[in-house]
Amino acid sequence: MIKKICSLVLVVLLVLQGGCWGRKELGQLAIVMAAGVDRAPGGDIRLTVQLARPRAFGGGVERPSGAQENNAWVISENGETVLDAQRNLEKRVSRSIYWGHNVILVFGEELAREGIRQAFNFFTRSPTARETLWVMVARGKAEDVLNSHSQLENTSAQSAGSMLRMRVGEPVMLKDLSMMLASKGTNPALPRVELTASGRPQGPGMVENIPQGYKGAQQPPVGTHAEITLTGTGIFKDDKLVGWLNVRETRGLLWLKDEIKRGVVTVPSPVEPGKKISINITRGNTRVEAFFDGESVWFDVWMKMEGTLWEQQSKEKLTNPVIYKAIEKAMSREIENIARGALNKAQLEYGVDIFGFGEAFHRKYKREWASMQNRWNEVFAGAQVNIAVEGRIRRTGLTTNRLSEPQ
Amino acid sequence: MILFKKPRRPKGTNSRAKDQNPAGGNRETTEQPVQNLLLSTDIESNLKQLKGIFKNCSDVVFREFLFAQREQIKLALVYTDGLVDKTLVSEQIMKALALNVPMATDNMEITRNNALHYVKMRGLCVHQVQETGKIQDVVDAVLSGDTVLMVDGHAIALINGSRGWEARSVADSITETVVRGPRESFVETLRINTSMLRRKIKNPNLKIETLKLGEVTKTELALVYIKGIVNEGLVHEVKDRLSRIKIDGVLESGYIEELIRDHPYSPFATMAHTDRPDRVAANLLEGRVAILVDGTPVALTVPYLFIEAIQTPDDYYEQFLFASAIRVLRVIFLVIALTLPSLYIAIISFHPEMLPTPLLMSIAAQREAVPFPVFVEAFFMEVAFEIIREAGIRLPRPVGQAVSIVAALIIGQAAVQAGLVAGATIIVVALTAMASFTVYYSGSITLRLLRFPLMFLSASLGLLGLISGIVIIVVHLAGMRSFGVPYLAPVAPTIQGDLKDSAVRLPWWSMRRRPHLIGQNDQRREIPGLKPEPPRPGRR
Amino acid sequence: MVEKGKIDSTQAILLNITMIFATALLSVPAITATHARQDAWLSSLLATLLALPVAWLTAKLASLFPGKILIEYPEAILGRWAGKILGLLYLLWFIQICSIMVREFGDFMVNAFIPETPIVVVNIIAIAIAAYIITQGLEVMARVNQVFLPLILFSIVLIFVLATPEMDLRRLLPVWESGAMHIFKGALAPLAWYGEISTFAMIVPFLVRPGEARRIALISVVAVGLIFAFLVVGSLAVFGPGIAAMAYPVLNVTRVINIANVIERMDPFIVAVWITGGYIKIAFFYYVIVLGSARWLKLCDFRPLVLPVGVILAALSIMAGDNSLEIFHFIGDVWPFYALFTFEFAIPLGLLVIALFTGRGKDKP
Repeated sequence: MIKKICSLVLVVLLVLQGGCWGRKELGQLAIVMAAGVDRAPGGDIRLTVQLARPRAFGGGVERPSGAQENNAWVISENGETVLDAQRNLEKRVSRSIYWGHNVILVFGEELAREGIRQAFNFFTRSPTARETLWVMVARGKAEDVLNSHSQLENTSAQSAGSMLRMRVGEPVMLKDLSMMLASKGTNPALPRVELTASGRPQGPGMVENIPQGYKGAQQPPVGTHAEITLTGTGIFKDDKLVGWLNVRETRGLLWLKDEIKRGVVTVPSPVEPGKKISINITRGNTRVEAFFDGESVWFDVWMKMEGTLWEQQSKEKLTNPVIYKAIEKAMSREIENIARGALNKAQLEYGVDIFGFGEAFHRKYKREWASMQNRWNEVFAGAQVNIAVEGRIRRTGLTTNRLSEPQ
Repeated sequence: MILFKKPRRPKGTNSRAKDQNPAGGNRETTEQPVQNLLLSTDIESNLKQLKGIFKNCSDVVFREFLFAQREQIKLALVYTDGLVDKTLVSEQIMKALALNVPMATDNMEITRNNALHYVKMRGLCVHQVQETGKIQDVVDAVLSGDTVLMVDGHAIALINGSRGWEARSVADSITETVVRGPRESFVETLRINTSMLRRKIKNPNLKIETLKLGEVTKTELALVYIKGIVNEGLVHEVKDRLSRIKIDGVLESGYIEELIRDHPYSPFATMAHTDRPDRVAANLLEGRVAILVDGTPVALTVPYLFIEAIQTPDDYYEQFLFASAIRVLRVIFLVIALTLPSLYIAIISFHPEMLPTPLLMSIAAQREAVPFPVFVEAFFMEVAFEIIREAGIRLPRPVGQAVSIVAALIIGQAAVQAGLVAGATIIVVALTAMASFTVYYSGSITLRLLRFPLMFLSASLGLLGLISGIVIIVVHLAGMRSFGVPYLAPVAPTIQGDLKDSAVRLPWWSMRRRPHLIGQNDQRREIPGLKPEPPRPGRR
Repeated sequence: MVEKGKIDSTQAILLNITMIFATALLSVPAITATHARQDAWLSSLLATLLALPVAWLTAKLASLFPGKILIEYPEAILGRWAGKILGLLYLLWFIQICSIMVREFGDFMVNAFIPETPIVVVNIIAIAIAAYIITQGLEVMARVNQVFLPLILFSIVLIFVLATPEMDLRRLLPVWESGAMHIFKGALAPLAWYGEISTFAMIVPFLVRPGEARRIALISVVAVGLIFAFLVVGSLAVFGPGIAAMAYPVLNVTRVINIANVIERMDPFIVAVWITGGYIKIAFFYYVIVLGSARWLKLCDFRPLVLPVGVILAALSIMAGDNSLEIFHFIGDVWPFYALFTFEFAIPLGLLVIALFTGRGKDKP
């Protein structure tokens, strides 16, 4: 009996000891909502983290009314690697930095141009950081982008994450990025984020400084609120940023990759010049097939898109088959144009396959692929792509013809 | 609302006749050992003996009177006041003997020699009469509420069944309530309890063997089983274990349980306790053995399996789909009741990555103000809950309302507002508490007991500690047996047929067999083809 | 009799599945994919086919020597001294694989679950729980397994059902790219795991019906093979050949599940369920060691050996390698050849051949 008690006490002690090692009580964590990686002068990495301030989140405990608190704390530190920078950060943060709920990872433009491989390995290796965090590339510095608030969400990181989850930009998770980097048949494309002036600040202390200095950024009036905005896509050649796609081209990219079907296509009215008709794309399907005849490579792309006509500026009768056929035709042409725009930019301007056409080729021609994989981007740039779009209008919302017109 | 009435001893039971003579110790006030003494023919000396034995027992009444005929024969009644039905004693015994009988006899000469026979055959208007020659039997009978009649000149005493004491009437079951099904529950009187079983199972194969345990209390026990269904070995095993008991008193079936159960150190019950006759009857029909103890409404049935903790009587009365759904829920509740606080601790202090981000933020915000680690917080809340629960049982009924309000206000609101406890912790503790009451009561005690070590384990090793604790518990359970039946059956070892009545309950027409390991003796419960369906052409 | 309990055929099959599967689940898909890339699922099916002879061989030997366990066959075939020595070698081999298993388990825990805890604590806890299981006997181990294996299998199915939105079966294409040689190489690692079925010969005498040993062994291997192929196909469909670089691909599949932002981040749960399998697997080999040692030493009870063997296992599990990379290297590159060409296949084959030639053992078929 004494032996039993002694061994029990030993086991209890052993287990108790365990408590000192692995525990990370919620109150002792600095929860990272967003991480940004920039190039610091001198070849270092500059790590910016947006830490949540739970105290400001409410959550049952009554907050003194009136004053609006900042939900996040943004802080940066340099280091030779990301882990090193994190270590340096810990000297300034009273709690241990916790990556388990990191929503977004933003690469600064400068670092992205030099290559992102050097900066993202930490996030795949650490067991706390999730593979599901959204990766994006900032126009300008990631640090500036993170230094922002969101009017609707708790933090700007969650706001950016929600936008990607709703599929308004090219949604790339960390695991997708790893797979894209590992594959020779495709190159990464990351959503581009930047801060834009978005309405007025809601309360004292919420004014942001929108970074300036590149083309297109609006000059912010005094007292402007800024939000993280998705403004297109960054195109990578292997791990190096080479260029951008704008919002329209991004839609083409998404359609060509058969990732997201939703979107709006606006076509001119077939009857009244200058008036527009908008179709909300609801479903779609893209099929890519590669062909190789020993010399040249070409691709056939079939796109089937279905949508709902939801807005009509003109007043033609939609119930007329001739009219809606014409609209469908215009819709197909517009979709092809959008896709073509993305394709042209990738093929002609940057010479980078970001559509995964290489993988389609690989699946079909596994022997030829072996010799071609290392020069695939050149092959892709020279390949002909035939696009066939079949656009269909399935529904017209709650009205058939315009309600406001005399019949 | 408890109504009192005098229960009568039901007719036709003749169990006391074959009482095992209990190994009674000699604690009476006489100097000689009582058990071997015989009655003498002299009534005076018998009375003297008995008066000596019942010295200072003010509730034992000695009533002497004459049986007047040509010869005057002295009779004596001995009974315990309060245990006997007074009307019966005065009307059917005294009046019959003293007044009615002598007058009704015309030609018969009643002499001292045939008095006993005559009294027994013609005189007594009592439903149950027995003869005995032993003083010990007389003493036992008097103390059990029977009336002993002694006739001068005979070394035989007549024991008249006259039990009738103040007892609680049959009321609703308090510990196990059901929506559909019989309401009645056992009471403190053994005979009433056996009569309830007999009313449900009208079959001579329902055997009710009585024995006495407790050297001082001499408590009656009934061993109930259905011959033909029950495994004879099980009955022998139960009897064997019972026969080893030598204890001064048995005041409740819990005494018996602890003395004969398997795995005495285990926190898990290996015998079912219930106060519902229908549950006992159902168990008997499955081949189990029930032990009823006089003086308590709680009956024991063996063997008891773990799965019974989530089974309730009305599962078998309600529609089977509904019953199955509720049972699946009860399995979940059981898991919640056992692990939720530990899971909460493990997640908050080791695996915050498990929570969805908005939920994490909300909990983090609540916890910002709380000065304790989550383990301490949850531990104190669990203890607080146990205080409320215990107070709820112990406190006098009128103050119950007040205490529950205070508890709800103090624990529920004030603690959160003061920032001592996070709201989430309260939700977790409350949920756990509610869940623990959905499982069978004795099971819920075990769950409450095991919750604390599990909380400790998850506070030190996170989910690894929690799952290790669960593995240890399961290994413990898998190694247990209740009267020879593996405790985790029918899950481990898996008995496919018995899974029909486990976490689900299939309809009665599909449960054709009794539990495999319990009702081995006669597996067939019903004939095949009972499923109700429209008649098909060519079928009959 | 050292062990009094008896287990029925279903329990034996389930026990075999856990015994092979509990650690195969962790890094074997990655090892296979290193060689065969997207053809890894072919490798796993090939391994199943190749493991069938091993299972057959095990059961055949068992049927020749009823009532005897694996380490006693050599004695019956080769005579007392050589047999005892070979039996001892078998015991040492079991100790080795059991300690490596404990180490692999501990590494997994520390890498993926509780990063700051010293591995020795995890190992000691695992061994202590395994010791508790085996002191209760084989019967209880089989029952515990009957409780937990369904949960483990359910968790696997759940993962892959929930991960279907992330899956793209085109990632398995093109088929047969890596060629037969690589597919065969990829099959070696799972084969070495399936070869652990030879350990089943240690418990054949404790079956209710030892005559069913062959059926049990074959069914176990096929069941594990199918489950494992399912795992590999699922992981490949989610990540493509990239799983080769992952330490625990199935865990990564678990981590990417996200249904409606509600069902997500459930990996610690799933890992917790797997832990039970790990405990049972460790307990099984631990049991085989103490049971074998007791029979080898002709003791009448194995329980006194539990504590000393546990201490040895705990110490060896720490000394098995300096870091997790060394363990990965061992189980990926050394273990398959080592295990298959000694104790799992080659030695039993040799024993069977000698037994058949010399006519030892029970009636020949």
